[in-house]
Amino acid sequence: MPTPLLDGLRALVGSDHVLSGVELSPYVVDGRTPEAAVFPGTVDEVAAVVARAAEAAVPVIPWGGGTAASVGGPPARAGVVLGLGRLRAVVEHEPGDLTVTAQAGLTLSDLQAALRARGQWLSLDPPDAERATLGGVLATNASGPRRQLYGTARDLLIGATVVTADGSIVRGGGRVVKNVAGYDLPKLFIGSYGTLGVIVEATLKLRPVPDDERLVAVRFERLKDAGSAVRALLGSDLIPNAIDLLDASAAAALGIDGAPAALVVGFDGLGEQVDWQVAQLASVVGPGGGERVTPLAPAAWSTLPRAAHDALGTPAAVMTLSVLPTVVAELMEQGASSARQRGLASAWSAHAGVGLVTAAVRAEGDRQDPAALAAVLAEWRSAARAGGGHASLARAPLAVKTVLPVWDDAGPAGRIMQRIKAELDPHNVLNPGRFVAGI
Amino acid sequence: MSSMPPPRKAALRHELETIVGGGGVLSDPEELLVYESDGLTLFRALADFVVFPRSVEDVAAVVKLANREQLPFVARGAGTGLSGGCLPAEGGLVLSLMRMNRVLEVDYDNQVAVVEPGLVNLHLSWAVGPRGYYYAPDPSSQQACTIGGNIANNSGGPHTLKYGVTVNHVLGLEVVMPDGEIVWLGGRTRDALGYDLTGIFVGSEGTFGIATKIVVRIMKKPQAVKTVLAVFDQVDHASAAVSSIIARGLVPAAVEMIDQLTIQAVEDAFGCGYPRDAAAALLIELDGLAAGMEAQAARIVAACRDAGAREVRAAADEAERQLLWKGRKSAFGAYGRVSPAYMVMDGVIPRTKLPYVLGRVNEIAVAHGLRVGNVFHAGDGNLHPNILYDPRKPGEEARVVAAGAEIMKVCADVGGSISGEHGIGLEKADFMPFIFSAADLAFMQKVKAAFNPAGLCNPGKVFPTKKSCGEAGPVAYRPHAIETQGLAQRF
Repeated sequence: MPTPLLDGLRALVGSDHVLSGVELSPYVVDGRTPEAAVFPGTVDEVAAVVARAAEAAVPVIPWGGGTAASVGGPPARAGVVLGLGRLRAVVEHEPGDLTVTAQAGLTLSDLQAALRARGQWLSLDPPDAERATLGGVLATNASGPRRQLYGTARDLLIGATVVTADGSIVRGGGRVVKNVAGYDLPKLFIGSYGTLGVIVEATLKLRPVPDDERLVAVRFERLKDAGSAVRALLGSDLIPNAIDLLDASAAAALGIDGAPAALVVGFDGLGEQVDWQVAQLASVVGPGGGERVTPLAPAAWSTLPRAAHDALGTPAAVMTLSVLPTVVAELMEQGASSARQRGLASAWSAHAGVGLVTAAVRAEGDRQDPAALAAVLAEWRSAARAGGGHASLARAPLAVKTVLPVWDDAGPAGRIMQRIKAELDPHNVLNPGRFVAGI
Repeated sequence: MSSMPPPRKAALRHELETIVGGGGVLSDPEELLVYESDGLTLFRALADFVVFPRSVEDVAAVVKLANREQLPFVARGAGTGLSGGCLPAEGGLVLSLMRMNRVLEVDYDNQVAVVEPGLVNLHLSWAVGPRGYYYAPDPSSQQACTIGGNIANNSGGPHTLKYGVTVNHVLGLEVVMPDGEIVWLGGRTRDALGYDLTGIFVGSEGTFGIATKIVVRIMKKPQAVKTVLAVFDQVDHASAAVSSIIARGLVPAAVEMIDQLTIQAVEDAFGCGYPRDAAAALLIELDGLAAGMEAQAARIVAACRDAGAREVRAAADEAERQLLWKGRKSAFGAYGRVSPAYMVMDGVIPRTKLPYVLGRVNEIAVAHGLRVGNVFHAGDGNLHPNILYDPRKPGEEARVVAAGAEIMKVCADVGGSISGEHGIGLEKADFMPFIFSAADLAFMQKVKAAFNPAGLCNPGKVFPTKKSCGEAGPVAYRPHAIETQGLAQRF
């Protein structure tokens, strides 16, 4: 890195808040070490850092907790990691308004703790809440089991402040729960992986903490039967807040041993509402082969989204597949079988009611064969497409990323995405080369 | 309206007819009059042509023709909009999508439906109702407004408090882009790949292109519904009750407020059972499981009583529930009983600011010598002050417009928004700087340029405009055809 830029960054945020050299090892992505990592303390400093980097034509890589750093194409150039960790204030929480405004670097668990102290919560439960930051969760559109009932960031984010590619500060949306003034810019930043702007502050809708919440497991002899049970559940009067489908190894990772398949179902609300639903569950899923409705410990909520991942210890690759809910079980069976045929172990879990599937894969022994891995992942992607959906890599070795595109093909819509990127970041400053459609 | 030379107009008419068929093109000024405004009759503008495509191919061909001829174009649904959003502000073409009104597919297992843009909102709920499903967004004009129009405006309704607005129910769109290309944004899966193009398209007020197929979520009808009426002797107490309900950890499906002037108009017109002497009433609806419904209702009753309600009662049966909702949904029509005309405002404020803002709204109306009635989505903080006036009195309309601007400023100043569901359109384009900086607006303009670089698709909307923009502008009030025919009510 040219010293003038490094000196300039140090002058902007203070030397203590700029890392270089060996201090950069936590920020290495796909083998590439950034030039520096900068941690601004204010929104204005974020803007100044982006402006300075843009001026020097050095890429800016927004960084929250680093929990999703493995997602995306390999970086083509080294850039400056822009860490948001010092921006962690709850700016405004008025319980009567059921909204919160907070800075991007606040971890999700800290935000939830602050909200719970006043009887409310943000109904978004992605994995790694202790490390994942609010900005990162939004930028990666991370979600968890409760999205079955409460949706995703697009249903909760009502306002966002971002620093744009030229270092201006732009606000979209607002602080009120209903707002159609102007374009809904917050939607554009959700899941944009920092390629259109650096999220520095966000306003979100909240919910009251429910009186009661319970998670239960139901065992099945076959995945297919569990899939049919999901359909029965969705068509019933029950209003589950989570419907996760696990294969045998993911179920075992959650402590549900010896079940070829398991359905994990959550309910919340008043005590009597939860009681009634748990009692009804057996009669809804029983006829399809569901057995032994068993309560799970509350801790299972946080391990549930990681079940497929944890089942394999350290998976070689993880894929996220988005399909129609009705094809989830079949996709899981088919995908596991294609991995087995190539001598690979796989583990599967799904937010089955919304069709979001996570699959992890690794070799049975120590030998990792990137070609076999890539072939299996490509087959999974084809299966997702056949199910009306798409699939992208959440994590894979560089050797796989170089032969298999990280992101699925966005088709003609990809051209619109490229045009948006070109308008908003014409010099390709923000996280270049890591996103969909080559963005 | 452009002054198009007759020979060119005749040639274009012929060409449009070859695309959409004979009987699918209007170009006589008398016929075009019906399309000169939407529900906000304050603004009027005449198109050169109104065309009625039947397919995506028709729409694409018309749009390509418009591009070739450099004619501005705008899509139109039922015309129930309230901000002038579908007006041909700069002349050119109106594409009426009313002939594209089919439910193309319903996939109950995956809880999605694919519909055309001209489908009337309520007709979708009718179509899926027999199987126990419904489409949740319920704008008060849902008997007339179209789902395509709902997409343009990201429409809300009373039940958005619990279920969200239109965008929360839309998964994918087939779109004719402003250059005529047909592209799918999103699809049928819950998570789209890449940027949320569907999410940004919804609410873009027709400036990003024309949606020709819409994939929406349909929902299971709730097992149970309970509707509670709370009556207050002071507006402040009703406002406080809204916050109190929320603070007690309850999220009703709807919390609507109706003030005294409106109650009296509704009772004169329809007799729905609201007490005429009440300062304000809250209509609160709970839905969901039958289990726990009574316990939740008890919490609502307690919250209202603690806030000072003089009477709280649940609708005894479905007939009474329907009657109470009729009063709420017909309120705008009822203003006709007490005033020759009224103008509906649409602003949003943080819920906790309700008492202050309602007070300010009243002060502003009084200062301008006007009366104001309030009927609105209190649970969302989405105000609808309705300023009553007599358009025949010189200068009164100008005072209404001035008062409206002041009310919008108050909403903006307490951290709110200048529109919760009616959109910016022509009406509020010049108010955008109340809540957005020059940088914010410039950023939005860049997004628009990515979709609509030539600017022919619904020009002159959303952004503050130079005053030279077309002929559209406030004119003296005349009831529009859709009002006089009773096809639509304002809300």
